[in-house]
Amino acid sequence: MLKAPGHYDYMPWRRRPKITWPNGAQIAVWLAPNIEHYELFPPPNPRRNPWPRPHPDVLNYAWRDYGNRAGFWRMADTMAKYGVRGSVSLNVAVCDHYPEIIERCCALGWELFSHGTYNTRYFYEMDEAMQREVIRDSRETIRRVSGQKLDGWLTPAISNDETTQHVLAEEGILYTLDMTHDDQPTPVNTRSGRLVSIPYSLEVNDVPLFVSRNTPAERYAAICKAQFDQLYEEGAECGTVMCMPLHPYLIGQPHRVAALDAVLAHITSHDKVWLATGREIAQHYIDHHLADHKAWIAEGTP
Amino acid sequence: MTLPPDYIEYPIRKRAMDHDRYPYRILPRTTPVTWPGEARVALWIAVHVGHFPMDMPLKPFTAPGGMERPYPSYWDFTQRDYGNRIGIYRMMKAMGARGLKGTALLSAALAREYPVLMDEIVGAGWEPACAGLDMAHLHHAEVPEAEERAVVAEAAALLRGRFGNAVTGWHSPAHSESARTPDLVAAEGFTWTSGWVNDDMPYAFATKTGTLTAMPLPQDLSDQRMLFQQNMATEDFTDAILAAHATLDAEARATGGGRILTLAVTPWLMGQPHRAKAFSALLDAILARGSVWNATGAEIAAAWKAQA
Repeated sequence: MLKAPGHYDYMPWRRRPKITWPNGAQIAVWLAPNIEHYELFPPPNPRRNPWPRPHPDVLNYAWRDYGNRAGFWRMADTMAKYGVRGSVSLNVAVCDHYPEIIERCCALGWELFSHGTYNTRYFYEMDEAMQREVIRDSRETIRRVSGQKLDGWLTPAISNDETTQHVLAEEGILYTLDMTHDDQPTPVNTRSGRLVSIPYSLEVNDVPLFVSRNTPAERYAAICKAQFDQLYEEGAECGTVMCMPLHPYLIGQPHRVAALDAVLAHITSHDKVWLATGREIAQHYIDHHLADHKAWIAEGTP
Repeated sequence: MTLPPDYIEYPIRKRAMDHDRYPYRILPRTTPVTWPGEARVALWIAVHVGHFPMDMPLKPFTAPGGMERPYPSYWDFTQRDYGNRIGIYRMMKAMGARGLKGTALLSAALAREYPVLMDEIVGAGWEPACAGLDMAHLHHAEVPEAEERAVVAEAAALLRGRFGNAVTGWHSPAHSESARTPDLVAAEGFTWTSGWVNDDMPYAFATKTGTLTAMPLPQDLSDQRMLFQQNMATEDFTDAILAAHATLDAEARATGGGRILTLAVTPWLMGQPHRAKAFSALLDAILARGSVWNATGAEIAAAWKAQA
């Protein structure tokens, strides 16, 4: 067993090489709607049972199904109102089950990246060959439905295996979201290939906040705004990234969607914000800052 | 069928504690202690700087922040690690801007893992204290004595190798102790400890190899309990600390003796961007109340001991 992921070096949050974003922005903000399908009758995985109740777990299945039927459409309209694109953390089987959702995402100019096939097919104990097969399925499916290249990856339910990041790099994935160790992109060390991490979030993620941490919608909005304000301020010195992961079955509920509206109103009222996609952030980092970070690490982070 | 007869026999039922670590002491009758500058409240900022190995054992119990999801939990590991990469620097900056220092309650393994962080702790003028080897090595009755002794020795050696004699405090990780931990800690040369959350003022804690100064480090009023375990709002935590200050400050005024306000804070919690301004505002609010002596655990322990 590994004591640590071992994929990144220690980078203290002081005196870092300066990161700049396009057009003088201090912060790159990106929204990651997780568009998912949880199966009614998923196969077993040795490390995790997808559902708390015996299958079919109708309550928990239907709660998530609400996201695709109702929540997504409300959430997408709210984002469109503010001109904020999404970078979709996509269970690619959604392309087959609910093509209307994908059509809407593409019409809005959103990025599609992979969150595996289904959110009930974990990577725990999957060998490398099978992981590659899933990644290739994702690549082909996303290309087929959108013409887009598969650049980003978030393992379903962050159920990655020890080998997953290595496989991602070797499969030509640009960026991974499986680690939440930083407020900036960082290099990811893998046995071969190239991979970077860009910030995802568990702190302003609607699942931990609404499901685990009992957060009322108004406090969710306050937390997101406070997260933005701090990273916006720090970004004046060295560019930061804020990610807002969203789940339509939670944020798209009628009692919560106003909170998303309020957060987007707050963010878009600032001028030094780069409203980006995951792919754009990763590519900008690779093109302009990755070498500086590697050099700084090699020097011992002076 | 019933329980054996000795179940209702009480051989140590008498006017004393049920152990011999310390005698009963009544807080309002405790001899008043004076802090430097006649300050009413000593402000001890105790920062839990933990290292959580991804392969940590989950039995017989896990520390707050221990791995919750199936192995390999990048989810849990990287969120805690964020505190040591990012969060602690945010807290250092906020404290430094206000001329405040603290005590880093360190997983000793960090001296090996993140030497740069150790340099920054020295640079900030913080006290380094030992919070065990790492969060995978908790202290409890099922750890064999030789193994526990070796863990204490290894942790002490790691931190003394970097900080020398500045390391005088021991805080058992997650307040976990076996019946013998204080003896092993004292034998290793530590002089203050903070595992027992039973007082607002220091007291003498007996061991087989000398007396430790027990320091007040709350768990009930800590970010790990209130923000992580109880899911309270950030302002509930900071309001609670200010309420504690008001009570302690009033007691200091009434008795003429100083009190201690301990902030038990954690970089992977209070060092998050969405809490940074609340942390700064909390420090400002405490300082605005006046008559505050900011000190390290060792400094407070020494000031108390000189008057005990």
